[in-house]
Amino acid sequence: MDKDSIPRLTRRRFLAQAALPPLAAAGTLLAGCRGGIGQKTVLRYWNGFTGPDGRTMLRMVQHFNAANPDVQVVMQRMDWATYYNKLFVAGLGGRAPELFVLQTLSIARFARAHFVRPVDDLLTKKSDIDVQDFDTNVWQAVSAKSSGQNKSAETKTGDPSQTGDMKHYGIPLDIWPLGMYYNRKLFREAGVVDAKGDPKPPTNREEFMDALQKLTKAGQWGFVFTNLESNVYTMMQQFGGAFFTPDNSRCLLHNPQNVAALQFCIDLISKYHYAPPPENFDAWIGFRQGKIAIAFEGIYMLADLQKQQDLDFAGAPIPQIGERRAVWAGSHNLCMRADLKERELEASWRFVQFLSRNSLDWADGGQVPARRSLRATPRFAAMSVQSAFARQIPYLTYQLSIPFVFEYQTEFNLAIEAALRGHLTPDEALAAAQDKINQILQREANP
Amino acid sequence: MKRSRLQAYSGYLFALPYLLLFGGFVALPLLYGLTLSFFRWEMLSVRPPQFVGFANFQEALHDPYFWQSLGATLKFVAMAVLPTVCVALLVAVGIESVPGKRQGFYRAAFYVPTVVTISVAGLLWRWFYNSEFGLFNVYLSGVGVKVPWITDARWAMPSLVIMTLWWTMGGPMVVLLAGLKSISPVYYEASALDGATPRQQFWYVTLPLLRPILLFVIVLNVIGAFQVFGQVYMITRGGPELSTRTLVQYIYETAFNNYRMGYAAALSWLLFLVIALFSVLPFRLLRER
Repeated sequence: MDKDSIPRLTRRRFLAQAALPPLAAAGTLLAGCRGGIGQKTVLRYWNGFTGPDGRTMLRMVQHFNAANPDVQVVMQRMDWATYYNKLFVAGLGGRAPELFVLQTLSIARFARAHFVRPVDDLLTKKSDIDVQDFDTNVWQAVSAKSSGQNKSAETKTGDPSQTGDMKHYGIPLDIWPLGMYYNRKLFREAGVVDAKGDPKPPTNREEFMDALQKLTKAGQWGFVFTNLESNVYTMMQQFGGAFFTPDNSRCLLHNPQNVAALQFCIDLISKYHYAPPPENFDAWIGFRQGKIAIAFEGIYMLADLQKQQDLDFAGAPIPQIGERRAVWAGSHNLCMRADLKERELEASWRFVQFLSRNSLDWADGGQVPARRSLRATPRFAAMSVQSAFARQIPYLTYQLSIPFVFEYQTEFNLAIEAALRGHLTPDEALAAAQDKINQILQREANP
Repeated sequence: MKRSRLQAYSGYLFALPYLLLFGGFVALPLLYGLTLSFFRWEMLSVRPPQFVGFANFQEALHDPYFWQSLGATLKFVAMAVLPTVCVALLVAVGIESVPGKRQGFYRAAFYVPTVVTISVAGLLWRWFYNSEFGLFNVYLSGVGVKVPWITDARWAMPSLVIMTLWWTMGGPMVVLLAGLKSISPVYYEASALDGATPRQQFWYVTLPLLRPILLFVIVLNVIGAFQVFGQVYMITRGGPELSTRTLVQYIYETAFNNYRMGYAAALSWLLFLVIALFSVLPFRLLRER
């Protein structure tokens, strides 16, 4: 019986599991003959997990296929940047995969194009996904009107079931919060330590500024902005700034709180000189090389750091700089094509539940599972950086998912970049961005 | 009689495979794009494409981002084309003067960067240009200089041009080298007998005889430079603050990030017009008098 436990290596399976991008066409062909040989339901599953996380996901797919002989999930991964274009165009041509992963920010645009199936009717007693197992903010982030406007993050209703005409468009698989990575060696050298002499990560504004002052010296920076968008967004949320009106019809970016938050970030560079002026891409390398003491980055950078043998680092929650706790985050969400037939739907939903149930395996690849029950396990507690970052989950804030999210991001990033480089004052930059975003909103509203 | 007609047909037959590909993958999409440019088609919207006449073109003329990206593109063309061709010519003349077998080595050595795909070359140069830890600044720090290669709006475009020079110079160099070889040695002998110095030979023999090939190389480079995308996308992503966002990148973002297909098609046709205009210019400037 040993033979049966090892999946037979057929050509189809080989192609499916190799999942190399050049085989995209082959994958489509394979899916074309679904329901053919052996009455297997073939499900195409697309995602952007091209890094080590892709191998983790592939193993999970293999486990599912082995446990469900009537279903064959064929995974294909591509770079996130091109992934959404391909997914969208495939949706337009009616050739979208049955299953796919959407990052939170992209949910509204795919929902508005009617490419994603709401999952609300599937969350019955029979399903093993309990909505209560998700934190409110995490679960709310996958909701959108079918016309595509996501519920504003700033107008939480509190009760996850009270979302009115909103529908949920996917099952959150994981959470990737921003967090504080810090270099323990530099902390010790600079004397930023607790009573026992262990490195002590700052938790509030005072400690943060004090640590940066001690950690900055010639050839070494206390802090660096690796990703402007997530870092500045976090500060703005902490300072209590608004982004949109509750009905998302107008942009409110230009307000005193956001200006103050942006000014704080600028001061780190040009007033205190704790951080170098913004680099385009590779400030992160500086942290890896041990020349920078603190960086705010996503949990997804963990694998990168773990490769760096000689780097003594740790993770901690982001200090509370503003008047409230808030941290930028995103999620990978498991989504299904809008027009699935009964049999495909049943198989797809089975797969989604399988992944969700086993998302602790996924956490091995450097992710935080979305399900609370899984985070309560000793196995998760042993993942030190993940569990440190996960402590922030109750106050994570997702960026608003809106259909024209890329245009919004372009304007937002342009504004904060100009401000951090000192070419515009925070006031000017945010006012200009707000104007442009409102123009886009107006164009969207009057097609 | 019969045979010649057959020959005429066989010519078409030989061209047929290409014509089919050209028709299916170039001509048809071009026309489709032209049609699209008169429609408002936002793929995110459930609304079907809607005919809007010249509205997309009008929008472009009032779109500051269009003008900004056109400006960045022109800047790139102005900075990249002539240096590329001049350096290629210089290298070609240099290689031509190397005797015998070593020529092949130098030709290959200068051509190699062109073979590297832009994603690899772009990644490589992004590292070179890193202002804190990049190769260039590490060496320059020895003499106490730190250049903000791609982090400063004033430096970003020249940095892209330098990288492009390295990456694309090989093509024109090989073509010009072939051109140099096609010049009969008779002219050099004759001019040498008349007492011409090598410098005079270059100006009065080589350059005039090379003119048709130079023209060809310049036009190709102008067209290529207007379509610059890969290195910008890889190295600066159009930054800092959009200072290097060229037209092709703006078109790409409009179409495939913002899904505004009609508007992107209109922008593409505007780019086509600009390229057409600037490809004719060298012919007028360099034509035989």
